[in-house]
Amino acid sequence: MPDIAGDGPEEQPLFSERPDWTDVTPVPQYEGYNPIAPIFYTPQYYFRGIVKTNEKSERVLELTEAIIRLNPAHYSAWQYRYHTLLAIKAPLDAELKLMDSLAVQFLKTYQVWHHRRLILTAIYSPPPSNASGLNDPTATTSSSAKSKPSPESQAAARTELAFITRVLMVDAKNYHTWSYRQWLLAFFDDVHLWEGELGFVERLLEEDVRNNSAWHHRFFVVFGRGQLQGEEDRVAVLKRELSYTKDQIALAPNNASAWNYLRGILERTGTSFSNLRSFVEPYTKTHEDRLGDEEILDLENPAPSAEAELPCVAALEFLADIYEKDAVSKSVEIWKRLANELDTMRKKYWEYRIKEALKDVPVQS
Amino acid sequence: MSGSELPKLARVAHAGHCNRCLSALPSSHIQIDASRLAIGFYCFGTLDLLGSIYEKTKEIEREGWREWLWHQQTNRPYGTDPEEYSEYDTPHLIMTYTAILSLAILRDDFEQLDRNGIVRFLQACQREDGSFTSFPNGGESDLRQVYCAFAISSMLDDWSGVDVDRAVSFIQQCSSHEGGYGQQPTGEALGGTTYCALASLYLAPSVSDLHAPNPHVTTDERRRTIRWLLQNQASSGGFSGRTNKDADACYCFWCGASLHILGVGDLVDRTAFLSYLASCQFKFGGIGKAPEDRPDPYHTYLSLAALALFPLEDADPSWKLPRLNALWNTTEDTADWIRQHVPLYTVKAQSPVRK
Repeated sequence: MPDIAGDGPEEQPLFSERPDWTDVTPVPQYEGYNPIAPIFYTPQYYFRGIVKTNEKSERVLELTEAIIRLNPAHYSAWQYRYHTLLAIKAPLDAELKLMDSLAVQFLKTYQVWHHRRLILTAIYSPPPSNASGLNDPTATTSSSAKSKPSPESQAAARTELAFITRVLMVDAKNYHTWSYRQWLLAFFDDVHLWEGELGFVERLLEEDVRNNSAWHHRFFVVFGRGQLQGEEDRVAVLKRELSYTKDQIALAPNNASAWNYLRGILERTGTSFSNLRSFVEPYTKTHEDRLGDEEILDLENPAPSAEAELPCVAALEFLADIYEKDAVSKSVEIWKRLANELDTMRKKYWEYRIKEALKDVPVQS
Repeated sequence: MSGSELPKLARVAHAGHCNRCLSALPSSHIQIDASRLAIGFYCFGTLDLLGSIYEKTKEIEREGWREWLWHQQTNRPYGTDPEEYSEYDTPHLIMTYTAILSLAILRDDFEQLDRNGIVRFLQACQREDGSFTSFPNGGESDLRQVYCAFAISSMLDDWSGVDVDRAVSFIQQCSSHEGGYGQQPTGEALGGTTYCALASLYLAPSVSDLHAPNPHVTTDERRRTIRWLLQNQASSGGFSGRTNKDADACYCFWCGASLHILGVGDLVDRTAFLSYLASCQFKFGGIGKAPEDRPDPYHTYLSLAALALFPLEDADPSWKLPRLNALWNTTEDTADWIRQHVPLYTVKAQSPVRK
């Protein structure tokens, strides 16, 4: 959805005053109509002049750069620029460098990232041949004629990943940036790159354990590519992920990202929530209640720290979900507590859960 | 705080904000030049919800806007008449959706609508994986475009431009481990695209009734989506768009409407919801994304649309808004106009398929 940047336009060369542009007829836009929300700027008129004559040249690169600096969302200018780059066989690594400098300024604009995808694809795998040559080469459907990137491209992939990491330093949750990273990993599909991502996510979560984009990325890397090798791998992977997630929950229990991740990996692997009961239970009590419990150092089930805010709503929800199968009255007790005391914003939701659960219970006389 | 203690809805000021945006936008807003049709829709939509289209605008202005909108309908290469457009002036899927809604709000008779052209355009935009690009052979392709294609097809009552099964399969792949839907299959669950996914699944031609179980959404998926959506209602009463992000007025619509479509709109804490949106009102008119933020037509419209879906009984009458059609995202009156004028063949009696 449109993101309104609010930065003023930079100083632009007046194309109307340049001798090397006198052969182009600018095509204005608003002849005789009552436009809606008109925004006036002239490089765009020169663009329409160029398009009319289908010119593909160096100066077109200059013009389109001026337009996208003014308006990074001008998708036609981006598309025309891409076709021009290919037509005049411009050095694409230089284009990438230019995009580096624009990326931070315009990182919330979809087109900057889409263009980058197109350039990477053009450099590292030739577009599939077809009549018009205009097919979107970034299509990731397996049936297309996409050729596998060359081995030399691993270095390029690492450079790109480093670039994305730098951009994430500016805005650690930028949606386009993360989508681009996910695309890049799938595009190069190099096992070493995939493996490096776990450490990357961990570093980000060390800075902000509530960065949901990082948690999501972890899920994508671990479970999203559907490439778990064998049964052993699956078990080891789940064990590792459970251990990591439990540690993060122990660090900061009131973190919806971690709990959503935990629930996600259990659901994905078909693992019953009840396996986690001993881990979850300490988080459902107050510190006072826990004083009575024996202090056992259980590395498999890290306990909440003394500073943790307890009881943890997400833990109670989790426990209620465990009980729902065979001890629904205990679930109802928890949901009532959440509705009336601990999570009153969602009071109607917890009451809904009670109603739904009791619907399935046969009426006892 | 009860509904009656809330500040009023500053209807006149909000209408003024959108009216001003319709006349001109400062050069600092250049980035939305390609999206002016969308901005137009948010402005018209606001005036429609406030019931002030006829009060605040003159017939000559409305005629001018309709004329300008029709000038944006391109006729090649997907339409019937050749005109002076280059391949870089191709129609745009999202803008087509907003243009149709805008024309309906302006009560156009749609005699000029190139229905066949639009259907061919949709076909040209659909990719192998079922998604749609904004324009043929280029542009982004994600759930937003899928939603627009579905909404347009449903408004035309003509699904021949869409391979529905493939599109549904793409939508389902966008479901994330959290329960919401991401922008594309690898994407993090996001409020806006969750709305696009659900609205599409409920607009699909095989679905007959908003209240019956949807064949494209399993019970488990529905449960997880409801859980994730409600988790996004922050303590301020507003909704965030992603887990652990701040509340933003526009997500009050995207998440709120999603819950409404799933039949559980009643689970939203309405007083807190209204109180958040009330606090996002800018003192000189318009509604911003958060309290104290500058307003814009996008947040203004979506906040009002959200409020239309979640009326509060004891609130001041200034908060009373017309019923909203959550699937097309327009008032029910405008939705009726669409049903009567947009399809090629319209049934005079009320259609049994009431979305």
